[in-house]
Amino acid sequence: MLELQRNVIFGQYIDAGSFVHRVDARIKIVATVVFIVASFLIDSFLGFAVVLPLLILIQVVSKISLGYVLRGSRFFLAFLIFILAFQVLFYPGDVPESGYLWRWGFLSVSNEGLYTAGILGLRVIFLYYVTTMLMLATSLVDLTNGLEQIFGPLQRLRVPVNELVLVFVIAIKFVPIFIEEVERLARAQTARGVPFDEGGPITRARRIGRLLVPIFISGFARADTLTTAMNTRSYRGGRGRTKLRWMKAGVADWAVLALITAWMVAAWLV
Amino acid sequence: MTSDGVPPILELRGFRYTYLEGTPRAVEAVRDVSFRINPGERVGIVGPTQSGKSTVVDAFAHLLRVKPGQVFYEGHDVAAPGYDRQALRRRVGIVFQRPESQIIEDVVGADVAFGPTAAGLSAAETRERVEESLNTLGLPYPEYRLRYVHALSGGQRRRVAIAGVLAMHTPVLVLDEPMAGLDPRGRRELLELLMRLQKDRDLTLIVCSASLTDASLLCERFVVLDRGSVVADGPAREVLREPDRLAKLDITLPEPVIAARELRKAFPDFPTELLTEEELEAELVARLGAS
Repeated sequence: MLELQRNVIFGQYIDAGSFVHRVDARIKIVATVVFIVASFLIDSFLGFAVVLPLLILIQVVSKISLGYVLRGSRFFLAFLIFILAFQVLFYPGDVPESGYLWRWGFLSVSNEGLYTAGILGLRVIFLYYVTTMLMLATSLVDLTNGLEQIFGPLQRLRVPVNELVLVFVIAIKFVPIFIEEVERLARAQTARGVPFDEGGPITRARRIGRLLVPIFISGFARADTLTTAMNTRSYRGGRGRTKLRWMKAGVADWAVLALITAWMVAAWLV
Repeated sequence: MTSDGVPPILELRGFRYTYLEGTPRAVEAVRDVSFRINPGERVGIVGPTQSGKSTVVDAFAHLLRVKPGQVFYEGHDVAAPGYDRQALRRRVGIVFQRPESQIIEDVVGADVAFGPTAAGLSAAETRERVEESLNTLGLPYPEYRLRYVHALSGGQRRRVAIAGVLAMHTPVLVLDEPMAGLDPRGRRELLELLMRLQKDRDLTLIVCSASLTDASLLCERFVVLDRGSVVADGPAREVLREPDRLAKLDITLPEPVIAARELRKAFPDFPTELLTEEELEAELVARLGAS
């Protein structure tokens, strides 16, 4: 059985109703940007060690099970390890002779290579975690409204903010739908004798290739239906559109942002 | 075991299934479903949406992570270690709700040939089966074998999907909502075809539907599901004898049964186990003649 839904949680939303879920979406988006900037600035293991307790705090407060997040990151982590192995083996930087642990032609394992790969790995995991958490704990409606309001001022410069946000949100929303679709197709084809659940990784990957044509066809069909639906309901972007519920960031929301920013500055400076 | 010692061809024993078990998105689709299907039976699995029909269908061919001790084919546990799942899938043919999903090749002939080829049949034998299946479904072989599947109409695609399953010569044929999206003529043709096939090949036929009308035309027995449990199981007429219970579920009752329920207002003992309009008419004529 091809169980993608279990192993890929990107783009999913889990309504656990926690404090993390209730924080104003705009604050969460800005906080995520702070995290992203911090992930590029922090360049020591100590710095990431300082970050870790905050991530644990967010995880606990969010009421989303850690096991679910970890299992849902399996494919991502496997891919990351694969990439990092290359980073180590083909490390291009200067390495003093004493730094080499193993060498064979142009392949090598050096202290410097391991260190860089380690930092890079943590950086990517950190980035992945905060963006995944943002999506797990923010409904798409909130995410859309938040992004629209943050980038709203750009509309004066004739940037089509609403349309861009809509495209972004639809793209994210389609990920889980596609994953479900792939699973359904794989089941139907398994029934006809394509053994998706047997064979080595390469044979399996090749079988998944068979799903591409039907997936594209159903994807286009879905996009077509969505366009028609939006047209029939007179979608015309955000112009003149008012909202029933306006977002309001309270003291607690701002405090969260302040805490995160201070924590990240601390992690950067240590 | 049945009375004559033949094991049921398919059996569910306390089958339960939860999608995405152990995650926050877990959905319990089926809870504790048990029934047996004997070789050659024509069974309708009827229930509203979300009743667990499709999950049960997937379990028949071991397309889900089935737990041991719950699903049996000819008396063998399909989830037992070492059980040959590929062989099971060559015996239980499934036509899914959306036929597009089970079409593998782009060209009609190649797609129908997929199953027999994968099962290791010779080229000549495969060709023969493809020709036979396409002709049976009213898609003449010489005309259709090179057509592109995606250029066909919805009804034709469904026929290609059915042909692909028929070409496997499976002893069990499962159809999930076979009538959905077909026009009256398409329904009639499919119905006649299925009846003919069932007789000629001695198939075990399983039809899933939210409509008792569709199921009543094909099946002699109903298993009624609701929210993942069996609420009725028995010969078609017996199940129809309790129409009030069925009417509470979100399923389509056969026209004669609907009429009979109305007629009960005039004749409180009016029977509801009527499968055809002729039966309804005869019953009505008898009553009116008597009074």
